Amino acid sequence: MKTINQTKHVEASKEFDDRAVEALVRAAQPGIRRAMKILRRPAARIGIVASPVGQLLVAEGPRGFATIHFLASSDADRPLAKLRRKFDLLENEIWRGDLNRELARYFAGDFTVLGHKVDLVMVESEFQRRALMRLREVPIGSVITYQGLATAVGEPDAQRAIGNTMASNPIPIFIPCHRVIRSDGTIGNYGGGVKNKITLLRNEGFALGSSLRMPSSAVMGHRYTHIYCRPECSAAKRADPRRSLIFADARHARDAGLRACKLCKPD
Amino acid sequence: MPTLELNLPPPFEEAMKSLQSEIMRFILRSTRDREDSLDLFQETWLRAYRAYPTLRSPGGLRPWVFSIAANLCRNRVRDRMRRARVIVSDGRDAELEAERFLPHAQSSPDGVIGIRRALAALPGKQGKALMMRKFGGMEYAEIATALKCSPQSARASVYQALKKLKASQ
Repeated sequence: MKTINQTKHVEASKEFDDRAVEALVRAAQPGIRRAMKILRRPAARIGIVASPVGQLLVAEGPRGFATIHFLASSDADRPLAKLRRKFDLLENEIWRGDLNRELARYFAGDFTVLGHKVDLVMVESEFQRRALMRLREVPIGSVITYQGLATAVGEPDAQRAIGNTMASNPIPIFIPCHRVIRSDGTIGNYGGGVKNKITLLRNEGFALGSSLRMPSSAVMGHRYTHIYCRPECSAAKRADPRRSLIFADARHARDAGLRACKLCKPD
Repeated sequence: MPTLELNLPPPFEEAMKSLQSEIMRFILRSTRDREDSLDLFQETWLRAYRAYPTLRSPGGLRPWVFSIAANLCRNRVRDRMRRARVIVSDGRDAELEAERFLPHAQSSPDGVIGIRRALAALPGKQGKALMMRKFGGMEYAEIATALKCSPQSARASVYQALKKLKASQ
């Protein structure tokens, strides 16, 4: 009577020898390659970079940044799991070096790097996509309120949804959710920590006061009339605050293409 | 500040390179048909690629891919049996199925025929566990992951399968 092991050897040598198996594996490859052309997820470069706001997990797909995550606020497991569903991830040292230099330029005051392409593939709803793209239009050195942003995307009562959108912003810094504050003038929360929000705003010239309220030099800019006023100006008080931006000072308002109010003469 | 490690799993193709021969051999043993093996191997590969992001630990890749292959082989057998029942409605279904899946049985040595018949007659879980252990060379923990049971249960399945095979000879 043959034992199991003897049978295994008989079968392995006669029917399933290595060469035959290898030949079958090779024969399967063209079909796999054809199917993979359709199924393959896009490749994304990923890496951890150090910055003045702590270590950041950054992923960039073929259409731009897909994720920037503050590692100080939570570990990388969740964003990595989400990214792996959308992309085939690859670590790339050369790209990481370039990214380090790009972030260093931003923190040195060169804000042209903020024009880097972003890919909103990780954003879940159309409303969130609209809000985040609208937020990119808020100029450097200014802030907008949650309610103001809700109005800007055509949903004036959706300030809470805007808050949730900011909390789940997949690409902070490049989609500037740090430029969104509360209507009462206080700074509000930030996914990467309030300390980092202050750092980012100060870096962009928006120096918050000691009570973390708006600086005394702040001016109100109206998005449709393209006029900026002192906050106490009667014209500013009449203007709809939901359609206003708050600029750190008159220079930032002028840089954004606004003119001074002829009543309060904020210059 | 020390830089954190990402510990990304290896790219899918790279991870599968060392497994593909084993998987093909396993499928070949299960189906005993070249064309079926090619189909199931491609299907295993593509399903594994699609689900690769859900794999938590890279160390679990081997039993995970084997479980995909085993499920596909089981489905294929089930499909075949269902079709055969539609065509042949008398009481010889099982016998005909066994003949179909063991095409070389008539020309093989007696012992091999006996083993094949006995293997085909084993309950699903015991048969798979034995194949993975003896032909796939897998650990009990890996078999347990593939069959979604405890390692003790996997060991018991292999033991019972071996006992039945010995009794049948």
